[in-house]
Amino acid sequence: MAEKKNGPTNVLIVGVGGQGVIMVSKVLAMLCQNHGYEVKQSEVHGMAKRGGGVFSHVRFGSSVWSPTIPVGEADVLVALEWAEALRWINYMNPQTGTFIADTQKIVPPFACRVRDRGADAMYSEETPAEIMENVRAGYAMDATSIAEDLGNLKAANTVLLGALSNSLEFSVDAWLEVIRSFVPPKSIDINMEAFAKGREWAQAGPKRVDENAKGRGVSGRDLHKQVETKLEITEEWCKGCDICVKMCPERCLRLNDQLISELHKPDACTGCRMCEWLCPDFAIKITNTPIMEPAE
Amino acid sequence: MKDSVNEAEFQINDYIRLDQMPHFLCPGCGHGIALRALLWAVHELGIDKDKLAVVSGIGCSGRLSAYVDANSFHTTHGRPLAFATGLALARPDLHVIVITGDGDSLAIGGNHLIHACRRNLNMTCMMLNNEIYGMTGGQVSPTTTSNRYTTTTPAGNTEPVFDACALATAAGAGFVGREVTMQVTGLKNLLRDAIAHDGFSFVEVISDCTEIYGRKNDLGVSPEMMLSQKAGMRPEAYRNTVDVPFKPNALECGMLAKNDRPEYGATYRAMVDRIRGKGA
Repeated sequence: MAEKKNGPTNVLIVGVGGQGVIMVSKVLAMLCQNHGYEVKQSEVHGMAKRGGGVFSHVRFGSSVWSPTIPVGEADVLVALEWAEALRWINYMNPQTGTFIADTQKIVPPFACRVRDRGADAMYSEETPAEIMENVRAGYAMDATSIAEDLGNLKAANTVLLGALSNSLEFSVDAWLEVIRSFVPPKSIDINMEAFAKGREWAQAGPKRVDENAKGRGVSGRDLHKQVETKLEITEEWCKGCDICVKMCPERCLRLNDQLISELHKPDACTGCRMCEWLCPDFAIKITNTPIMEPAE
Repeated sequence: MKDSVNEAEFQINDYIRLDQMPHFLCPGCGHGIALRALLWAVHELGIDKDKLAVVSGIGCSGRLSAYVDANSFHTTHGRPLAFATGLALARPDLHVIVITGDGDSLAIGGNHLIHACRRNLNMTCMMLNNEIYGMTGGQVSPTTTSNRYTTTTPAGNTEPVFDACALATAAGAGFVGREVTMQVTGLKNLLRDAIAHDGFSFVEVISDCTEIYGRKNDLGVSPEMMLSQKAGMRPEAYRNTVDVPFKPNALECGMLAKNDRPEYGATYRAMVDRIRGKGA
């Protein structure tokens, strides 16, 4: 994409902490600088520990004034994670914008509000195909699987850089040179391959959706079997020490009039066994019976 | 890593004497949680109850052996390690576990602990540290924190605190660890490793005495005491970090020391065999 007549070219890179958003934006910024453009980059980082979103604005052109991209003005949106892509999609220019997103799903902790074992996370339900219908051009690709096939899952951001290189007018060699200077020495080869794969994937058409995208991500149902919990309290053994009441993460126990523990919110109990383990009087017994899902 | 031999789910009722329940411990006493963790570890290692011997002394901790549905041995004050030494030497096929308290093992039986660590005989010593002599009326113990009130220190304790794990490490125990009752699964894993270790294993469990010690010192009810104990610990993962100024009094927990000194029972039996072989 050539430089627009009035104003700089805007690239917005978003993702989740730890994916390499900053690396992608640094590569792009360095590349633009090497080509004599004025570059401004603005980012938020350090959210990796909380699993939070990370974004980076890169603007380049003959002259750049503001470091941040206004809503609806981004020429390219590069998203390393699917929900982050949807979160920032309003920043993309609806007429001229290009949308590049990895379809992998990283479920943030705050999407896991239902705390039953095996509960599904409240993740966005839009499929890549539905989103791609409404954008002008772009790629919804399973970059993480491509990188994993190459041998290192962490190279997913380089795969997306390859796709991005198709939307910006810089030579492949210039891209590779900058990438080589940013990645750790022992991962240069794999990053070169990842870049080539991403570029190859994007060159096949201006608008592509990976139909076979696994939508990798974690559904609670994959991790834990759903269980039916039965909580029994031996009342003769309970001494009313309050440990189970205070330590229950769901606050579903209480002491009754006789200062004996009782389950007053059976629906809230997730069968985590905290009360059973911490009961000094061995008065609580939890039985988790797996619920058999009907065979299809 | 999956160390457990026994895949069946742990049921505490299989390991305790149901006719003795409910136990005599006060409401909120952490000893019950420690006993559960110990029996859980025994269950995971798949130890037969007939091959398990639980030895205990006098005190709140001493009563725990009576609730275990296994070979149990309730001995004199401070001497469970001495009795257990004899038992472990005579019956090397048994898994000998000693449950003792802070007063029991550090004050009255202090010498027995040092020499048990020195000999490195194959047994496990679980020391329940509740910082007080609870059963005898709340007297000061070697682990009572400074300035805390007990019946024998009505103006506050002025003695310094005994670090039992440092003592055991220095005396040469094969395995030394410390954990709080709040971390039940961590405590269970630590005890499992301790029982599996071939040599003398010493595990200090920070327990809470709510009724006597907590009440006198205004430390709150047992959930509050347990949470504050947990907060006062430095977990194994943070041992080498540089946050020392922020938690100056934090005690390290997890496995603290491990060595592969020769186990005394094996050395002793080898000597016996050698002499008998020579005599015959």
